[in-house]
Amino acid sequence: MSPLQITVRNAASGPVLGIIGELDHTTAPQLRDLLATLTLQPGQRLVLDLGRMQFCDSSGITALIVARNHALAAQADITLAAVPAHTLRVLHIVGLDQVFRLNPDSQAATQP
Amino acid sequence: MTARAGSQPDPYETGDDGTSNAMFAALLEDSAEELYESAPCGYLSTLMDGTIAKINLTLLDWLGMEREAVVGRMRFTDLLTMGGKLYHETHFAPLLRMRNEISGIALEIRQADGDRRPVLVSSAVKLSGNGEPLLIRTTLFDARDRRAYEEELLRERKAAEEARREAEADRARLQDALAALQQSLLPTTLPPVPGLETAAYYRAASPDQLGGDFYDLFPVDGKSFAFFLGDVCGKGPQAAAVTSLTRYTLRAAALHDPDPVSALSTLNTVLHERYTGGDPRYCTAVFGILEPDPATGETAVRLASGGHPPALVLRADGRVDFLPTPGGVLVGILPSAPFATASTTLAPATLSCSTPTASPRPAPDRTAPPCTATRRCVPSPPPTPAGPRTPSSRP
Repeated sequence: MSPLQITVRNAASGPVLGIIGELDHTTAPQLRDLLATLTLQPGQRLVLDLGRMQFCDSSGITALIVARNHALAAQADITLAAVPAHTLRVLHIVGLDQVFRLNPDSQAATQP
Repeated sequence: MTARAGSQPDPYETGDDGTSNAMFAALLEDSAEELYESAPCGYLSTLMDGTIAKINLTLLDWLGMEREAVVGRMRFTDLLTMGGKLYHETHFAPLLRMRNEISGIALEIRQADGDRRPVLVSSAVKLSGNGEPLLIRTTLFDARDRRAYEEELLRERKAAEEARREAEADRARLQDALAALQQSLLPTTLPPVPGLETAAYYRAASPDQLGGDFYDLFPVDGKSFAFFLGDVCGKGPQAAAVTSLTRYTLRAAALHDPDPVSALSTLNTVLHERYTGGDPRYCTAVFGILEPDPATGETAVRLASGGHPPALVLRADGRVDFLPTPGGVLVGILPSAPFATASTTLAPATLSCSTPTASPRPAPDRTAPPCTATRRCVPSPPPTPAGPRTPSSRP
């Protein structure tokens, strides 16, 4: 089984991607490829649910930035939900906690 | 069981009148003589001194000679090329004398038209009843196809060796080019800074892997020096291209306006404008200005950080402090990014900046922030610190 699984569902707010496993150099392209096929409507919110993400390296961080660029290009929004503590610390060091909207609660993140 | 021995028909006999047998026999080589003369190989019998006593038509055809010109008049070695004569003298004949037979020796015979024909030669000595050698029987197989095949193999091998040499030369050229490019990404030496000792440590992941880590230290005016250190996302040629852009942008920006935030902002604008959309390229960076004060011997440090782990200050008493720069954002992902500033004074102390350890797989303790490990790595200060030190880079 791949160390990364991505689930896709549609919530009232827009698409919700569940990132399960490790988002690293070898698996991040999976997320980037999937994002390229994901259509967003203006005003929608793309939610990346990271509650079950076990690891995220710099390639994973880049994939998150790609997701943000993809959302902004479609005039949509992006929220990182349930970011694990280890990744939250990295986001804090590189200043991305100011760039992404963060929501500790993945349920609340998908409320319109 | 009722079958009788001998009563079953021979599977090769199709009739009972013998007609088919005769036709079949006619199709076969009908006489030993015919077989000898027209065999698909050369036959030759010689006396023990090599004088040719008997030769078949096939071999005469190959030689382009008449039987009368050969039998009793020539020796076997007269049919051979000069090299073949020598080989016959030194190897073929002695081995044949010793063993009474020899087979599969590659020689060349001279044809009347001047061409040479490669042949495979086998010989056997016919002995009399009491073991005396009587004559030598020799067969020669036409080896032109085989020789052509061998030459083809040899050509192919030479071509393969040539290709390998070219590939190795290409690889060496590529390594040289990579080394030259890598050199252009990093300073070869650090300039002397009055009142400071400087040191840098850089280790690439592999010799042919262009790195994404970078650092530099250079004078910006008569009094102060600028330094920077950072890490470009990714590895390989694309990362090296960003590293190169980053280094020269920061150097140029510092000469224009040495303010740390201003330099990082210029870099941010350049990277963001250059790399947007689906393939974002960005870096973390610490940019600082060092202002040595000859009167006090102290050095003022002003730095700004964009998403880089904090620098460390190792004081003379052994205390290690972070020089926190919270809130600085990765350089190149936002149109306009905030950068955090910090300043300190190095009265005997060490300022250490480093990039996080590059590891393709998570370290055993994947929850520890990179700076924790760095703090553990900082060595104890020498008993009598000589003076301030500045940026050292650890991968």
